[in-house]
Amino acid sequence: MAGEMTKPALVLRIQFDRSPQANSKFVLDVQLEFDPGVTIIFGPSGAGKSTLLDCIAGLLHPQQGKITVGDETLLNTEGRVNLRPEQRHIGYVFQSLALFPHMTARDNIAYGLAHLTSEEQTQRINEILAAFDIDSLRSRKPRELSGGEQQRVALARALVTHPRVLLLDEPMTGLDDELKTSITQDLLTWNDRRKIPILYVTHSHEEAAALGGRMVFLKNGRIVDQLAR
Amino acid sequence: MEALLLSIRLSLTVSAILLAIGVPLAYWLTFSRWPGKFFVEAIVALPLVLPPTVLGFYLLIAMGSNGPLGRFWQSTFGHGLAFTFTGLVIASVLYSLPFAVQPLAASFESVDRKLLDASTVLGAGRLRTFLRVILPLSIPGVISAIVLSFAHTLGEFGVVLMVGGNLAGTTRTVSIDIYDRVQSMDYAGANQVAVGLLLFSFVVLSIVYGVNRHLGRRIWSPWPAK
Repeated sequence: MAGEMTKPALVLRIQFDRSPQANSKFVLDVQLEFDPGVTIIFGPSGAGKSTLLDCIAGLLHPQQGKITVGDETLLNTEGRVNLRPEQRHIGYVFQSLALFPHMTARDNIAYGLAHLTSEEQTQRINEILAAFDIDSLRSRKPRELSGGEQQRVALARALVTHPRVLLLDEPMTGLDDELKTSITQDLLTWNDRRKIPILYVTHSHEEAAALGGRMVFLKNGRIVDQLAR
Repeated sequence: MEALLLSIRLSLTVSAILLAIGVPLAYWLTFSRWPGKFFVEAIVALPLVLPPTVLGFYLLIAMGSNGPLGRFWQSTFGHGLAFTFTGLVIASVLYSLPFAVQPLAASFESVDRKLLDASTVLGAGRLRTFLRVILPLSIPGVISAIVLSFAHTLGEFGVVLMVGGNLAGTTRTVSIDIYDRVQSMDYAGANQVAVGLLLFSFVVLSIVYGVNRHLGRRIWSPWPAK
C-alpha cells in the first residue's frame, strides 16, 4: 500500500558508560534503526564498535536506553526490562570466533539447539553444513581446522539457531581476499532467505565493499556519519 | 598394613567430599562479584598458613563433648565426634580445603571468557555453560585438585594426632604408625611402612599425572596459526 511505513527490524537507543568499570573514560551514546540486510559498522579502534554489539547481545548493560527486535523489547531501562543474553535469540560471531575447543564442529553447531528434538537438530545441522559447505568437517575439532574453516563453522553455529539479528565482530580478520569473498557470498545467500539484520564490524574497506549495504561510522562512542548504499 | 589401608580409606573419602564441596565453592569464588569475597578466600586459604596443631587444637575443642560440633553430634547420632574416623574426615576436609579449591578456581579462571559469552549467547544458562564448557576445559585442574587432596590427606600428621589420637584401626593412620614405630625404636618396621607409603604415593601420582598430561594434550593443543 502506498505510504505504508515498515517497522525497522532492530531499533536501539543506548547510553553505556564504561568509566565505572574501566580506568579510561568512555561513553557509547547511539540511536540507530536497522532493516533486514547488512549494515557495516565502521570506525577506528576504541570507537565503541564491539561495545555496541555486546550491548545488543546483552553481554554489557547500558545504563540508559531501549532495544527492540520486532515487537519484542530486549532492553528498556525505564521499564526495568533487561533480557539475559540466553533469552535474546541473537547470533554473535566474535573476533576470536570462540569455538569450543573440546567439541567437534558438529557439536559446536548443535550447541545452541538443545531445545529442539534430535530430528529437528539433525535437519537444521545438515541444512547449515550444506549452506556453508562444511559437511566434511563435522567430526573435526577446531584445532584441526584452517582459519577459513573455523570462520565457516562459527558462522554456521551462529545462524543455525535462526537468530533474529546477527552480530559479526571482525570475523574475517586474517583471511585472504578469495576466502573472504567466498564466505561473504555464502552469508549473503543465506540471508536472502532469512532476511535478518546483520551488523558487521570491520576495519576493511574491501570487506565493506563486498558486503554492500548501509554504513555507519562510529568515533569515540558517537555516530559521526551514515551512508546508505 | 592396617594403618596404610586406613590412610587410603581416609584419603579417598576426603578427596570425594572435597570434590563435591570444592567445585561449587571454587565456581563461586571465581565468578562471584560480591565485594566481601576476599573474606571467604582468606578463610579457605587459612589452613595453608596455620600450623596443623593450631587447627587440630581448635577442631578438638569444637568436636569435644563440650564443643558445639561435639554436642550436636552427640545429640543427633548418640556418640561423640573426637577420636573417631568421622571426626578425622571432618578435620581432614577442613585442613585440605585449599588444596582442592585453589587448583579448581585457577582452572575455572583460565577458561577463555569469550567461550562463556558464546555459550550464553547460544542460549545456555549458567548450569549448562558450567557442565558443557567450563568443567570439560578444567579437567586438568579437577585432577590436580583430587591428587593434591589425596596426597595432602595421606601425609597429614599434626591434625590427625590432635583430633584422632592413636587408635589402631580407627584413627591410627600411616604417618602416626611410622611415628609410633620410631618412638619404640622399631626402625626396620618404620622403614617398611615408610617405603610402602613412598611407593604407593609415587605410583598414584605417576598414573594421575600421566593421565592428566594425556588429557591436557588432547584438550589444550595449540590452534594452528591463522
